[in-house]
Amino acid sequence: MISLTSPVRTRAHDWPAGAKLAGLCLATLGLFFSADPLVHLAALVAVLALYAAPGAQFLRTGLRSLWMLWPFVLVVAVFHLIDGSAGQGAVIVMRLVTAVALANLVTMTTRLSDMIAVVRWLTTPLRRLGLKTRALEIAMALVIRMTPVLLDKGAALTESWRARSPRRPNWRIVLPFTLLALDDADHISDALRARGGLVSPED
Amino acid sequence: MKDVRLDQIDEQMPASRVQLNSVGFAHESRVVLDGLSLDLAVTRLGVVGRNGSGKTTLARLLAGLVAPKTGSYELNGIDVARDRKAALGEVGILFQNPDHQIIFPTVLEEIAFGLTQLGRKKAEAEEGARAILQRFGKRHWETAYINTLSHGQKHLVCLMAIVAMAPRLLILDEPFAGLDIPTKAQLRRYLAHYTGNMIHITHDPADLDGYDQTVWLDRGQAREIGESSAVIAAYVTEMTRAGEADDIADLPG
Repeated sequence: MISLTSPVRTRAHDWPAGAKLAGLCLATLGLFFSADPLVHLAALVAVLALYAAPGAQFLRTGLRSLWMLWPFVLVVAVFHLIDGSAGQGAVIVMRLVTAVALANLVTMTTRLSDMIAVVRWLTTPLRRLGLKTRALEIAMALVIRMTPVLLDKGAALTESWRARSPRRPNWRIVLPFTLLALDDADHISDALRARGGLVSPED
Repeated sequence: MKDVRLDQIDEQMPASRVQLNSVGFAHESRVVLDGLSLDLAVTRLGVVGRNGSGKTTLARLLAGLVAPKTGSYELNGIDVARDRKAALGEVGILFQNPDHQIIFPTVLEEIAFGLTQLGRKKAEAEEGARAILQRFGKRHWETAYINTLSHGQKHLVCLMAIVAMAPRLLILDEPFAGLDIPTKAQLRRYLAHYTGNMIHITHDPADLDGYDQTVWLDRGQAREIGESSAVIAAYVTEMTRAGEADDIADLPG
């Protein structure tokens, strides 16, 4: 999800995020109402057609991010082949791939701040009850933003280990990494505070 | 660079009054600021000092991120550590490491965030963010992902995000650490156009070209305050002398 970004600007970028997410929900739910392999094949082909619509570059990026599903597909396929229920297995695999492909499609064509706006709208009843939902919204942004940063830090620690050890880095790297992450969290909380902290725009 | 229009904006903001009244600050038992008192009208103020002299703590304190443990600090009569809402219009801070500052994954969202914090609606905030990008000649950065930017570019994003909020005083905490010479020169040029007041905290006096007043911070106290050229000359003499000694050997405590 972190690197799920579109290399090109598509028409879907201009569609409202709420509509895309609602459509995604309905479509995914719909997939569970059929056990017919032909229906699922049609759904899968339709989604792939959507991927192809913005051009070859978009299709390539999209398929590359779907590739991470292969271990799951493999496990399900092997299980159902052993189990002797290949038809059922095919339906499950296609349903899985179609659902994830659709979700990726929405993520690739929606800005994070628009996604957050939908979450904000969905949590309106919680705010009515007096709960603050701003933290949830900012946490979403932080996960997406900080994951690559933390991956870099982890890589740097691993290198620092390897520079002075003939062995591969092991579990002992976990504690220093945790401390680094906590230190980063301190800095980020400063940065948040410097720009007004968790106050909601309407507060 | 041709379409940078920084010089067309509003005139210099009025000076910020910085009042520190015997401010003390300690981490556990280690004293960082030791009865520091200042009363200055700031337009461009430099702060020099060695590593460990309390510079970063002073930066965080001036920005209202922490409150003094003893004594008091007011900026234009406002207790900026308490009244965070009023503080947003008074003071902003640029950190040493842009990865510690940037909260959102894309440039536009990061700049717009500060504006929503000031109470603007989302669409309005994004409009404001676009205007800032335009002013810096970086309209094409709008949808760029932060993790694809260079270190210097991230610095510029941080600067634009703060300029967008237009605080009257900008605190710079070693903003040029680790940047190459051209990047540093370019960022300096962007900074020079900022019409608010600035307190620039650094260990390197070369960064303070054009700053009229300078404070020399030493072991949490103001060792000298005054006209930059005199303070910096004394600081450089002392630093050269200290460079010949071996106080790196001294352990705390």
